[in-house]
Amino acid sequence: MNEKTVTCKEVMNYICESLGEDLNSEKCITIKDHLDECLDCKSYYETVEITIDCYRKYNVKMSKDAHKRLMKFLDLDDCD
Amino acid sequence: MEEKEIIKRAQSGDRKALANLVKIHEQTIYNFAFKICRDKDKAENIMQETFYSMVKSLHQFDGKSKLSTWLFRIVSNHCLMLARKIKNRPFVSLEDDENIFEEKYAVDWSTLPNKIAENEELKIILDNAIKKLTPDYRMIFLLRDVEGFSTEKTGEIANLSVPAVKSRLHRARAFLRNELSKSLQ
Ligand SMILES: [Zn+2]
Repeated sequence: MNEKTVTCKEVMNYICESLGEDLNSEKCITIKDHLDECLDCKSYYETVEITIDCYRKYNVKMSKDAHKRLMKFLDLDDCD
Repeated sequence: MEEKEIIKRAQSGDRKALANLVKIHEQTIYNFAFKICRDKDKAENIMQETFYSMVKSLHQFDGKSKLSTWLFRIVSNHCLMLARKIKNRPFVSLEDDENIFEEKYAVDWSTLPNKIAENEELKIILDNAIKKLTPDYRMIFLLRDVEGFSTEKTGEIANLSVPAVKSRLHRARAFLRNELSKSLQ
């Protein structure tokens, strides 16, 4: 892939493929340059990151009752 | 006391130490099970089975990896087993992802992550989107992106090659992002 032929679709694919990976290849430089210039791809990149962040921040807390049931299930309730 | 020491004691039959290990990891495992099945009762059930497996086979744990990694492997297996029991669920096909690239960016996304704690509607959107993925895709996305395991570790836990992890991850990311976008329009 070189700078002249990189398309938005390629960039978007690349974003989804490589997020969180070590980005040092030559291809990456082309992608980064494209991201600096193309608003669509930049928003896409950001929204993929935000999607991930949403799932990271969506957590559930286990109830005390669920803990008690677990200990009982494991026959460890006397060690609680 | 370090976890290694607690594990050693638990392996030699100290039930208090065993209970301690359960308490250290129960919240993480419950949360992960919930993230896979998006259902609190199922998550509790999977968590119970996971720790039951831990208690049964802790003597086989060699300490080469972290106990948490080992538990993630067990919980992942239980999640997949449960998913196989639920047959004929219409999972979405990930083959056609052309439409991912044809849309407008009308919504302000930047505030979303901070709204999750109190926004039930957003939670439902996130639940519904991820439920459309097959459990193996969910699992890869959750292990790699949400729990933050490396691609290699994710493959190890899920018993998949690195390229297989990457292709699932790629599709899951694009799909979830697209679903979220559709729901927000
Ligand atoms: Zn572009």
